[in-house]
Amino acid sequence: MEAFKYIGKDFPRPDAVDKVTGLSHYIDDLYLPGMLYAAILRPDYAHARIVSIETAEAEAMPGVVKVVTGEGCTIHYGDNIKDLTPMAVDRVRHIGEPVAAVIADTPWHARAALEKIKVTYEPLPVYTDAREAMKEEALLIHEDNGEIWHLPTLHPIPGTNIANYYRLVKGKGEAGFEEAEVVVEGEFNFPFGSAAAIEPHGAIVWFKRDGTIEVWSSSICPFIIREDLAHAYGLPISQVRVHVPELGGCFGYKSDITVEQTIAYIASFVPGHPVKWVATRKEDFTSTLIAHGIRIRMKMGATRDGKLVALKTTVLHSTGAYADTGVNITIGAAHNSTGPYEFPHCDLEGYTVYTNTPPVGAYRAYGHPEAQLATERMIELLARKIGISSLELRRKNFLREGSITALGERLWKHNGDAEACADLVEKAIFGHEKPKEDDRYYYGRGFASLMKSPKGAPFSTKGCYMKMNVDGSVSVNMGGAEVGQGLRTIVQQIAAEALKIPPERIRVYTEIDTQFSPYEWQTIGSMFTLQGGRAIVRTAERLIQKLKETAAQVLRCDIDMLDYDGEYVFLRSDPSVRVAVTQIARGYMHGDGITVGEVAQAVADARLPRYSAPDENGQGTMGVTYTFGAQGCEIRIDKKTGEIIVDHFASAFDVGRVIHPKQIHGQVVGGVMMALGAALSEELKFDEEGHLLNPQFYQYHIPTYRDRLRNQTVMFVETPGKIGPFGARGLGEHPVIGVAPAILNAIYDATGIDFYEIPITPKKMKAALEAKREREGEERAKEVEA
Amino acid sequence: MKTITFTINGKARTVIVEEGLMLLDVLRDILHLTGAKRGCDNGTCGACTVVVNGKAVKSCTFPIEKAEGAEILTIEGMAEGEKLHPIQEAMVEAWAVQCGFCTPGIVMDLYALLEFNPDADDKALERTLNRHLCRCTGYEAIEEAAKLAREKMKARK
Repeated sequence: MEAFKYIGKDFPRPDAVDKVTGLSHYIDDLYLPGMLYAAILRPDYAHARIVSIETAEAEAMPGVVKVVTGEGCTIHYGDNIKDLTPMAVDRVRHIGEPVAAVIADTPWHARAALEKIKVTYEPLPVYTDAREAMKEEALLIHEDNGEIWHLPTLHPIPGTNIANYYRLVKGKGEAGFEEAEVVVEGEFNFPFGSAAAIEPHGAIVWFKRDGTIEVWSSSICPFIIREDLAHAYGLPISQVRVHVPELGGCFGYKSDITVEQTIAYIASFVPGHPVKWVATRKEDFTSTLIAHGIRIRMKMGATRDGKLVALKTTVLHSTGAYADTGVNITIGAAHNSTGPYEFPHCDLEGYTVYTNTPPVGAYRAYGHPEAQLATERMIELLARKIGISSLELRRKNFLREGSITALGERLWKHNGDAEACADLVEKAIFGHEKPKEDDRYYYGRGFASLMKSPKGAPFSTKGCYMKMNVDGSVSVNMGGAEVGQGLRTIVQQIAAEALKIPPERIRVYTEIDTQFSPYEWQTIGSMFTLQGGRAIVRTAERLIQKLKETAAQVLRCDIDMLDYDGEYVFLRSDPSVRVAVTQIARGYMHGDGITVGEVAQAVADARLPRYSAPDENGQGTMGVTYTFGAQGCEIRIDKKTGEIIVDHFASAFDVGRVIHPKQIHGQVVGGVMMALGAALSEELKFDEEGHLLNPQFYQYHIPTYRDRLRNQTVMFVETPGKIGPFGARGLGEHPVIGVAPAILNAIYDATGIDFYEIPITPKKMKAALEAKREREGEERAKEVEA
Repeated sequence: MKTITFTINGKARTVIVEEGLMLLDVLRDILHLTGAKRGCDNGTCGACTVVVNGKAVKSCTFPIEKAEGAEILTIEGMAEGEKLHPIQEAMVEAWAVQCGFCTPGIVMDLYALLEFNPDADDKALERTLNRHLCRCTGYEAIEEAAKLAREKMKARK
């Protein structure tokens, strides 16, 4: 094992002190001279034509500077499909859409005037579910579907509400089921949810007098915002400057363009004034990005001795009124629906369907939890039908060295060890007796394996700039967003290891500013440690090379005879011949004042090697790096109330290399809790008219302190990878993937009841228990009769 | 318009404000004391918690008129220079901080509990912490921090 000086140790978070003293500045904490405030009107209907908007009364309210509507707006934007507009023009397609906005001197004046805007609507039929929107007679939510600009790799179906159809065929596809001796089928639902960070989305946009645009946003993709706004307003990209302050949680939904185009459109009416808008909690639910909305039909086939043969998956994605941010989630859900298993034959398809609900966007693990809820339940059903243990079925079929994934990628040992993770969790959860059923509780244990690859893009690179100062300390600047995950600590540690200097001597950047920050695609997909870390290592190598170039002039020798130890550059054959880095950090000064050499600074970036677009089979190098894991739980179900109590939860991931034990533990514990929220309580509920019924924290229940886990085991396997720094792989999203299926599998173990959807609320559990008792009663009665 | 006078972090302040504003509006948008956070506007998430006359209140639903003559303590008033308050120290040392958005509210609520009752039992800690939503940590580290804060506050007395 390699000996590391700084990797694998718990260094303090560089941002902790500012955060506990209230001095970290989030978007809503920023105040600029001359700043105005916006409030946005949302529609009464989820699908309607706008007949008229009257603004005169609002304009006369105290403090109002301007009332803005979408009339005449011609901006269309989107990264994948340009189906978005900054404000509704003549039609609203979901309940959170911007219809009009008030700009005023204070937030409360803006909000008060909003109530005076009068809008007349002509309601249209509402579809809140893909199955309804896909019907032949359904009204088109976008009449020009197919004609809207989209990436050439996407396939919208004109004349329908299908924004994209994706299909992956591996081997013989569905024909592969001919080789199967045992087949199971099921339909699973992962309903709408929200990432629901405690900090709502917000942005400040300032159309400056010099014709440039300056933006502050609670976003993890400032470079995409910059390009998108430049495009919308016909500016060179360099003329748009985007800042990212501290972020109060992200979990996916602060990626992509969310609110920035809308705030920019509003601010464009008051050039010279920065305009701030921060979502109310309700708006954060209705008017940013929601999650999931994924229904999956799955068919899985195996031989009688438990060799998986074929998989057919159909993803029906209720993607919302705009599909730009959701389309890749459908695709990711489809091609990752194999879970961590090898299927020789796959037919995996995904329908991205327009619905009259807020657009779905990224949520921690991007399609994987939705798909693998189905996969891990199906493995259980299949094992039951074959008559072997589900763990045995898993072990026979894990993706491992030499396996070919659905995407057609060959796996190597360094891609990680799903089986080692399963072994650890098996021991933690099944290594002791299960409590016997008693008067009050049923007891159950459940298991799920998991796999995740990033959902990247060919240009998904991350940049790094480093400069060494004359005291030998180093400043590191990158474009990755700290959302709470502890990115800055990781940057500090990796840079320390690569530069062989203590972390305390490394200053990590705080805010991101596209004017100064190195390019970064966006901080998504659990890729920062992996790609960002590699960028740091590459940059450090270049910086050290710069030091050696200067040292070679000072020490009068060949560069390749020089070594570096963090303090000195020295001659390998005689280390006493050396020069201190402090003497060469900005070049070297001879005794007579003449200087030579260069400033010790360097820049580099790193992308996923050979990441590709999908080919005609829907395959390609679109995973590149994989993290495998396993999760399991021990639960109790209250017979009377239906409450599910998680007594113990265990997780194991092959992360390649643990960089920071405390932080990685925190990521897993937080992720498991978030996913337990989804499994047991969270669901955004829309009525038939598309109104959101629970857009507040007192209605949409995320886990509270009382819900915390009292007993949790977090374990890591370290099979070093070949891409990330020191063998590290991504982990941010993975802890959420196996939670729901592990819980549902445990419910079956406890009660013999199979669930095919989440959340399993006490009410739902109780009803299922009552139905089961009734069924059993009837059966017993029949037996008696017979 | 109304004139309201109160003491905030030991300093007397007078504000002239419109009716209908909450303490959080005044703290943030008028006094620019942004440590108390706005997360829900209906007293559910706890991020806006400050201490008024020794009691933890959710400032987003606390009408400013009720602050007349009050002594208000916010997160900005907790540390003495570079020296963190023991509760702040505990949050750092127990790794209870991730995104940090819920942190000031939790610190202030723990202060209102432990400053006057450093012997508070686990149930009391639970009642306090259950008033705060955190989406990052799964609460494990927050529980550790609260217990560590209690030890530190006891040791201080």
